[in-house]
Amino acid sequence: MIELLKKTPLNEVHHDLGARMADFAGWELPVWYTSVLEEHRAVRSRAGIFDVSDMGRVWITGRKAGAFLDRVLTRPVSRLGIGSSQLSLLCLESGGILDDLLAYRLETDRYLIVWNAGNIEQKLDWLKHWAGSDPDIIIQDRTADTVMVAVQGPSVCQLRNLKGICHLPRFGHTQTRIEKAEALAARTGYTGEDGFEIISDAADTTRLWQSFVRQRVKPCGLGARDSLRLEAGMLLYGQDMDTSTNPFEAGLGWLTAMDSRDFIGKSALLEIKRQGIKRKHIGFRMTGQGIAHSGYKIFKCDQEVGEVTSGGYAPTLDVSIGFGYVPIELATIGTDIEIMIRNKPVPAQVVNRQFYKRGA
Amino acid sequence: MTPKEYRYTQEHEWICPESNNKGKVGLADYAQSQLGDIVFLDLPSPGTQVGQGQKMGEVESVKAVTDIFAPASGQVVEINQTIIDEPGLVNKDPYGAGWLVKMELNKPSELDALMDSDKYDEFVAQLTEDESHPAGG
Repeated sequence: MIELLKKTPLNEVHHDLGARMADFAGWELPVWYTSVLEEHRAVRSRAGIFDVSDMGRVWITGRKAGAFLDRVLTRPVSRLGIGSSQLSLLCLESGGILDDLLAYRLETDRYLIVWNAGNIEQKLDWLKHWAGSDPDIIIQDRTADTVMVAVQGPSVCQLRNLKGICHLPRFGHTQTRIEKAEALAARTGYTGEDGFEIISDAADTTRLWQSFVRQRVKPCGLGARDSLRLEAGMLLYGQDMDTSTNPFEAGLGWLTAMDSRDFIGKSALLEIKRQGIKRKHIGFRMTGQGIAHSGYKIFKCDQEVGEVTSGGYAPTLDVSIGFGYVPIELATIGTDIEIMIRNKPVPAQVVNRQFYKRGA
Repeated sequence: MTPKEYRYTQEHEWICPESNNKGKVGLADYAQSQLGDIVFLDLPSPGTQVGQGQKMGEVESVKAVTDIFAPASGQVVEINQTIIDEPGLVNKDPYGAGWLVKMELNKPSELDALMDSDKYDEFVAQLTEDESHPAGG
């Protein structure tokens, strides 16, 4: 199967750095270069760089591009100013989540969406289905001929090649030049730290990466990518949510704009909201010894009540944490639960999902 | 790198024979490097009887959970409390401060069945070679 994995433009760079590689949503990506913990800590204390080229990058242009996106996304991106971006969801008509993504407004009739690596064909088909054959909506997946890196950490604004764009607000973006490479840089990320995500032409890949590594920005792999987002209370599509979960139970209701505008899934979501949710995505902290992982069962009074969707060791907090779904009556902060770890019930407690907060 | 006086298992545990039929047990460097950062250890309480090759605990890294097997039969007499508080020591100093448990051996002659450091180095070299040729080369 190894030969079937997709390779990002940085693949050779990872191998040269001696990274431990693994399959992630069909891409061969580094799990770690030197140590997950070191990489995690570098991002919390200084700066790290991630190859996030696996994320899909789709440009949507044309006279009706904005109206089209407003119809398929749960938040209206056409109301954003040029140079801004926002998190949004792609929902099925049932209200189930097809993906979470970032939608950028680049120009009046030009948008970019950056979404997860999984189910690309299904998602593209979904977009094309709703766009129909309208010549005023052009959908272009340019994932293969572009590269995307995330530079994250509290010291990113001290980096020589990012200093010039530190005026950008959170979710702001601009077309710029980094190491002579044309790049789209956005003040975004999924680590809970300040940072940028940079998209450029695949041809400029190595130069872009090296320019950061030369400034002692630490290369970071999937391991740190996962522990950082978990610690920061950020959900991972495919684990914490999928087509069988709705935004309200996932705690992502804030990503649905339930105003007068209609969008796909809205009527189902209104009905879900009216009926009230039965289960909720929660954060928990292990109070007993052990580490929870996705798929482990959650128990309360010897009864199975739910399942862990993400879990692991939180390096910054030095505790073991996780996410999972539990019945709404057990979702209150402070509730004692148990996680079944290899047939042993281990005590845990429901806590605020945002385990780590920058500057707190 | 691999201490000469230790004995090694195919599951990458080591045992260092000490006086009075005691032995100190740990994880070999290859094991820790494959596992990555170790974040949790589940070790048997002192007093536990284990048989050679029998599961006696678990080690969990950022990547995987694996079992720890007893390199010899006997009774666990002490666990390394330092690594419970700081599991990363197993990565940093697998043959020294990162030891796991001390055992009182039932049959010290069992150690003869284990690999010495030369054999173990060869064993690991073979594994590393297999790894660098994925899918049979």
